[in-house]
Order: sequence, then C-alpha cells, then structure tokens
Amino acid sequence: MPNDNTLNPLVPSIVEVIDIVDETPDVKTFYVRNETGVPFDVMPGQLAMVSLMPTGEAMFSVSWQEEKEHLQFAIKRVGLMTDELHTIEVGQKIGVRGPYGNGFPVEPCKGKDMLFIAGGIGLAPLRSFIKYCFKNRADYGKIQIIYGSRSYADLCFKDELFNQWPKEKDTEVFVTIDNPEEAWKGNVGFVPSYLEQLNPDPSGKIAVSCGPPIMIKFVLKALEKMGYTDEQVITTLEMRMKCGIGKCGRCNIGSEYICLDGPVFNLAQLKQLPPEW
Amino acid sequence: MKVLNKNKIDAVLNRLAEQSEVFVPMQRGPQSGFFAWKSFENKTDKLALDVLNVYLPPKNVVLPQTEKMYSFQQEGVEVKIEKVYEDPNPKIIFGIRGCDAQGIACLDQAFLTRGYEDGFYKARREATTIIANACYAPGPNCFCTSMGGNPAEVPTADVLLRDAGEQGYVWESQTAKGQAATEKIADLLEDKQVTLPSAKPVTRTVNYEGVAEKLKGMFEHPIWAKYSEPCQTCGICTYSCPTCYCFDIQVKNWGEEGYRFRCYDSCMYREYTLMAGGHNPREATVERFRNRFLHKLQFFNERYGTPLCTGCGRCMVVCPAGVSIVQIINEIKEAELDA
Repeated sequence: MPNDNTLNPLVPSIVEVIDIVDETPDVKTFYVRNETGVPFDVMPGQLAMVSLMPTGEAMFSVSWQEEKEHLQFAIKRVGLMTDELHTIEVGQKIGVRGPYGNGFPVEPCKGKDMLFIAGGIGLAPLRSFIKYCFKNRADYGKIQIIYGSRSYADLCFKDELFNQWPKEKDTEVFVTIDNPEEAWKGNVGFVPSYLEQLNPDPSGKIAVSCGPPIMIKFVLKALEKMGYTDEQVITTLEMRMKCGIGKCGRCNIGSEYICLDGPVFNLAQLKQLPPEW
Repeated sequence: MKVLNKNKIDAVLNRLAEQSEVFVPMQRGPQSGFFAWKSFENKTDKLALDVLNVYLPPKNVVLPQTEKMYSFQQEGVEVKIEKVYEDPNPKIIFGIRGCDAQGIACLDQAFLTRGYEDGFYKARREATTIIANACYAPGPNCFCTSMGGNPAEVPTADVLLRDAGEQGYVWESQTAKGQAATEKIADLLEDKQVTLPSAKPVTRTVNYEGVAEKLKGMFEHPIWAKYSEPCQTCGICTYSCPTCYCFDIQVKNWGEEGYRFRCYDSCMYREYTLMAGGHNPREATVERFRNRFLHKLQFFNERYGTPLCTGCGRCMVVCPAGVSIVQIINEIKEAELDA
C-alpha cells in the first residue's frame, strides 16, 4: 500500500525514523517504520524511494527488512539529498515508496553454495541477501563473503562482519582494506585481487557481487578466469532514477529499465544489453 | 451523414467547453499549439484546424509540461501529505491529427502498462475525449504512413472529423465517449450527404522496416558520431515530440509547506542521467543522442511493439542544427555492418 490516501504509486507513505546507526564516517543506517510496522514488504535486493519532503527523493536498496517490524537503509553521504538525510535525528518522519525492482533470485539460488563479493557501500544491498540466507540457513550451502573497503573505518556493518556472520554455520568471512593500517591484521589489497588469491571453486556456486563500477569490472573478469559461467554470476546495476516504476525514462540500459526490470541481472543477461553499464 | 457546418464550429466549441476543458490547435502570436478554447483571444489567437502541424503537440493535455503531484506540510519531526492532485476533470482534444493521436497511444503504453499504472496520467487520460481531424492533404514534412499510420483514419479517436471543404466536417462517433460528446452537440449537427475529397498521398516516405532489428548491431556504429556532431542538446526535439514523455520530479517549498511536481525532462540534457557522486553513464552528446534515437526506433519497439515516432515531422522543422530523423533512418537502412 503506497499511501493512506491513494493507490498512486508515486505518492510516498510516511514512516518514522526509529534508529540511526553510524556505520562509517560517511555511512549511516536508518531504521524506519510506521505505527503498524513496515510500510510494505521487501524482498532482498529490492529498492525503495526515500523522500525528504522539502529536499527531494532518492532511490536506495533496502539493506534489510526486520520481520514486520521495520526497514533498514544503509546510506552513504554523496550528494544533496544524502547530505540532508545525514543531518536528521531519530523521531523524524520521512516518506518512502516501493518496493521497486526485481530483487535477488533467492528461490533459484536455493541448494547452492553462495559467494558474496562486495566493496564499500556495495555491501548494503548484498546484506539483505546474506541475512536472508542466514535466516533460511538450511536452504543454502556453504556461504563465503569477501568484503573490502578503503580503510578499516570505512567498513560497514562491523559487528555483523567480525562478530556475527563468522559464527554462522558453514560460513567464511574474508575482509580486506586497500592500504595497510597499524592495527589491521587482515588482508591488505583490492577486492578483485583478494578474490583471485582466495580462488573459490565455482562448482555448485553462485557469485553475487556489488560495489563501485571499477571493482565490478575486475571482479567479473576474475570470476570468468576462475571458470564461473555467465549464469553463475549476479550483479546489480545503478542508474539515476526518479519514478521507480519504469516511466520517467532515465534509468534505461537498452530497452530495460533498471528500476523495474533490474537492478539485479546475471552476466548472461548483461551481455545482451548495450555496453552502457 | 452527420455534418458539422464550419460556421457552427465556435458554437460547438462553446457548448463542449461548458462541461469540459477543450483544447484546440491555435496560432498564438508567433507560437502555435493546443491551447484552452476558453483562453482564446481574438486579438492574438487564430483557430488553426487546417494547419499541419501546430508546433506543440497536444500531449500536455494528458501529460502537462508541469504537473503538481501532491502537497505536504513538515513541522519539526511531523510530516503530512496534504493533497494528491490527480485531475479527473473532463477534457476534450479537438482537432488532433492522426500522428498526435498515435502519440497519445504510445503514452498510454508507457504510462498504463508494464506493471504500474501512473495515477496522475490515468486520471487525466480517462477523463479525455479525443476528437480527431482526418488528414486528406498531408504536409511536406509528414511521413506518418512510413511509421505505421494512416492519415485519414484515426482508430484511437473517440470522434473522427472528415473535412469536406465548404460542405463542413463529417462527424463520426467511434466510441462510447465519442457518443457522449456527440449527444451534447447533436442539435448543432446537420443530417446531409456530402462528398469527401479523395485523400492526397503522403509524399515523404522512409523505410522503417527492419530498422529496429538492424539497430541491435549498430550501437557502436559511426553514424551516431556523424549525426550528433551538429546537435546543440537544446532538447527542442523532445519538447515538440508528441511521444517524448520523460519527466523529472522536483520539489517547491516555502518554509514548512510545499509540493512535489513533475515536469518534462529531456534525454538530451547531461543532468538527466547524472548521478550523485558525479558518475554519468551518458556524459557525451553522442551517447545521449544515440540513446534518444535508439529509444525511438529500437528500444520502445522491443518493449511495446511500435516505434516511438509517429511521423509528425516536427523535430525536423524545429531543430536548429538540421538533425533529421528521416535521414537517420535512411542511413541506418543503408549502413553496412561488419559481419
């Protein structure tokens, strides 16, 4: 239900920010709900438009839906709208509309081993799929998570990354940072080279990747070299969006609208599209 | 035959305007387009039912250049959406040509199918009656037949007018909405037999057949650099196009109140795809130019089964750099592709 007054999909419904978690110096996670709980149900990888009434709207992946209780958005400060978002406090009412997009193929991935590869804020969308796997642990095989960021301070979801996820059954978490730091005992280097070094075997596995375009480019190359087929590799695309419902035009790549037909594609599908991604 | 005598046109428009907003093709000073009949001023305006085509298409009736979406109020942490401005007031487009009616059929595809109905468009569209004017003498820039149109038949119109010269317009109702409009002005029509002129052929033609398919292999073709070179990215082609529908959503606020509105946007503008953080997937003119023509000739066709061009010819008339979609289609047809 988009809104109390209307079924119009472009009109947001009002939610309250009930918690704000500082993830990194420029990433915060916002927890939102209305009086009854979540404003709508979201599948992992789907998007929602977040609306600050006097400022504007911007599209974000939903980083987690906690039961019927609340939605979580991990948001990096990069522009006008997100600068403003980072100044709000708990208790503020904001607008949300959605859910938009296809989301991750959680059903077809059942029974597979999962390899998640993320860089920077790219962990925000993947986190919804990772947590979904843990919630439905018996449905998925071995889980490997490779995550990297510029520095230790820039790693998102540190508690989950270092304390919670490594304790899950049959799960490995590999973390890397771009440059050496005194207290850092883990791997140093970019995500694609760490991936090549770890060299996870492709058999029975699905690789899901999200991060900055340059990282994605090298991750896709590395996976291909390791023997992953195009159907085994999944990523998400990003374009500027305004409507979220495939009407306003700008988020097209070829005849696909990223807000509606995406944002999740496998490599076989991406290779059918014009090379604008 | 029901016939509208030409000296009764004002009376018919006045009658229709009693209960509906009526939009008619007008010459307004140096400008021309579809404007509200009730705004007609003898000093500056001239009814332009005979003109092919007025500069601005009538898409603004169903998709206004600027449209209020909803108003809000924000006081401290509290936020309220006050009013949603869906517009259900009856509207009539009088004297629309077949190419522009096909343009609205394209907008219907974009706004009303594929998973979501756009509430603002739907409210306006359902309230709109289309009274079309069949073309018996197409203009020098018209090429509608090449894009699948037929100038003398407008199947999506609610009423079709056929111009029989001094004998008047034959008035043919084609739908229930058309019937309702006809009943309002029935006493102003005359029952008589008239002879219709034979339709003159459309003289400008281009062969669109196979173009959508062929373009799949032309994304990197040098044709895009060649034709985009003179383009000033002014966007006049998109504003004057009866099928271009891309929009932006923006906010206007003063203090704690304000409203969200949407307005025409153009794929020719750099900001259209510019993302927060600075990345732009279509930074260069050639990339935006290519996307516009591929959307018209390939992508829309792949998605909805028709091209996003109805052959009205406006973009070729208004472009300050002389970009011609007809020339581009011709060159696509002739282009040799690497095997």
